[in-house]
Amino acid sequence: MTDVVAIIVNGLVYGSIYGLVAIGMTLIYGTLRILDMSQGSMVMIGGYAGWWALSTHGFNPLVALLVAFVLTFVAGTLTELVSVQPLIGRAKSGDFEMVTFITTFAVGIVLANLALQHFGALQQNVPPIVGGVLHVYRGVSITYHELTMAVISVLLMAGLGLVLARTRWGLAIRAVAQDLDASRSLGVPVTRLYPITMGFASALAGVGGVFLGALYFASPTAGDLPLLEALIVVVLGGLGSLSGTLYAAYLVGLMQAFCEVKIGTTWTFPILYAAIVVILVFRPYGLKGSPSEARL
Amino acid sequence: MSSLVASISFGRWIAIVLAVALVAAFPLFYENPYYMTVIVTGEIVLLLNISWNFILGMAGVWNFAQLAVYALGAYGSGWLMLHETWLPVPLAIVCGGLLAAGISLLLAFPTLRLFGIYTSLLTFSFAEVIQYAATNNPGGLTGGSFGFPAVGGLFPSYGQTSYLRAYYWVCAACCLGGCLAVAWLRRSHLGIALRSARDAPQYTAARGIDLRSARIAAFGLSGFLAGIAGGLYLAFEQSFTTDQMGLTPMSLDVTMLVIGGLGTVTGPIIGTAIVVAIQTWLISYPGWQLTVLGTILLVIVVFVPGGVVGLVVRIDSRIRLWVREDAEPEPSSSSGPP
Repeated sequence: MTDVVAIIVNGLVYGSIYGLVAIGMTLIYGTLRILDMSQGSMVMIGGYAGWWALSTHGFNPLVALLVAFVLTFVAGTLTELVSVQPLIGRAKSGDFEMVTFITTFAVGIVLANLALQHFGALQQNVPPIVGGVLHVYRGVSITYHELTMAVISVLLMAGLGLVLARTRWGLAIRAVAQDLDASRSLGVPVTRLYPITMGFASALAGVGGVFLGALYFASPTAGDLPLLEALIVVVLGGLGSLSGTLYAAYLVGLMQAFCEVKIGTTWTFPILYAAIVVILVFRPYGLKGSPSEARL
Repeated sequence: MSSLVASISFGRWIAIVLAVALVAAFPLFYENPYYMTVIVTGEIVLLLNISWNFILGMAGVWNFAQLAVYALGAYGSGWLMLHETWLPVPLAIVCGGLLAAGISLLLAFPTLRLFGIYTSLLTFSFAEVIQYAATNNPGGLTGGSFGFPAVGGLFPSYGQTSYLRAYYWVCAACCLGGCLAVAWLRRSHLGIALRSARDAPQYTAARGIDLRSARIAAFGLSGFLAGIAGGLYLAFEQSFTTDQMGLTPMSLDVTMLVIGGLGTVTGPIIGTAIVVAIQTWLISYPGWQLTVLGTILLVIVVFVPGGVVGLVVRIDSRIRLWVREDAEPEPSSSSGPP
């Protein structure tokens, strides 16, 4: 019974983090057809923003989240302008996906190594947003930090859903996801929409980075693991499907918690990746993905 | 083979023979052990890049498992060198190559069910499984992150200078062989099928060409070359760590391929040479290596699609166009209405 509670609690916490980091990738892929490999670096930048605001200046946690949001929003927008904007309309559609995969990957490499230059390879401690531990059930406990993280992740994801469903920007994003040329001819400002979408998605990852920084550390390579985890989630859910990403995030979270409790941490990742391989063989577009039609 | 021989002009033949002679004679005049080690390692990376370029550039299958296949080649040949000592080392390396080819072939079946970005994600996941599994060191097979236990290698009794020279020649010969094989395959039925499948898959299929078998063959061939590269690396360095298939070497190799020009025969050579030179040049500023290389990768993809080779080809054809325009009279001036 203790095991089951531990698996469920940890799984839900993991799932929320994964959702937060992966939802940005899904948003970008759904609208722009770009698998944004610089998202890991956004998590890293968010971690450093949290460290700067909380550790070195002792600001309010809300300030840390705001700083991370703004910084990564700007970084994501710039990434789009540098690595995607010049390529729009140049290559064939299939090539566009691969070429932007490489350019965003290059941006990720540069950002991670600039962080290495500036902050050094040393891991920096990020204090938790909220202190304290909540005891759930016979030895199973959850920190308030993790609880806050899970709640804020869910709120942010719900907010994203509302923005997409109710606002003009959301409408424009969904329209671009459905048909780029048609939305262009109807006056959707695509060249402005792309950077803002990417900035927004990066900001979600950045906020996630502040939370993750307290769980692990802020370091130049802090983004690698979240990036790989987000990749697992978005592939499992079906690239570009928001609901699929949510299901997959919690599924992967629960799977990871199960592996950690029952099998051991060393084999968690091989098992997750092997699951991906098997799922892709039987469902080539993930759980809820679709080959070409609108995804969001 | 004859079409390949005929396709190369006399001047270019002379250039190729001269280049090969120069490369072969180089270690006779140059002995600096540090730079020789760098060069031999570069040659092994070049062989890996030739194999990767074949599947990635020429066949257009976005296979990101090449480093895992390379590592499996190294582990396979290493296991033979360690446990089956009666087997000559070159044969062990070839067996490692065959093992890598077999695994690459097996990987081809699930991979070819997918399209586009999903191909790269599946192969990437496969590579991650292999890397994590190797790091966990099941049954002491891989040595984990500490590296494969030392093996004798090809030339166990040689002194430093002759050791480096011998490896230089062996690796150079393997690279030359790989290059020739790719250049020949490019014009073979298989190569033409692969390239047309890359550029126009529907049309190719409609012409009755079996895309799947062609791509499966490409997986096997490139896996074999990668496995040989892995075996050579293990034999030369006397060790193989799981870092060799991490994200950093992968991004370096991708940078090499993109800078040189994906899908061309000479692209990997030029790209590998440029990146190894930059790395060696920036060796005292380790943090800047990847920053500079990442920036170059970005700039090349955005501004020079096709890489250095593509750029040279475009400039060359532009010059030819100018020359032809100068030599021929303007057609419009002579044939206007009276």
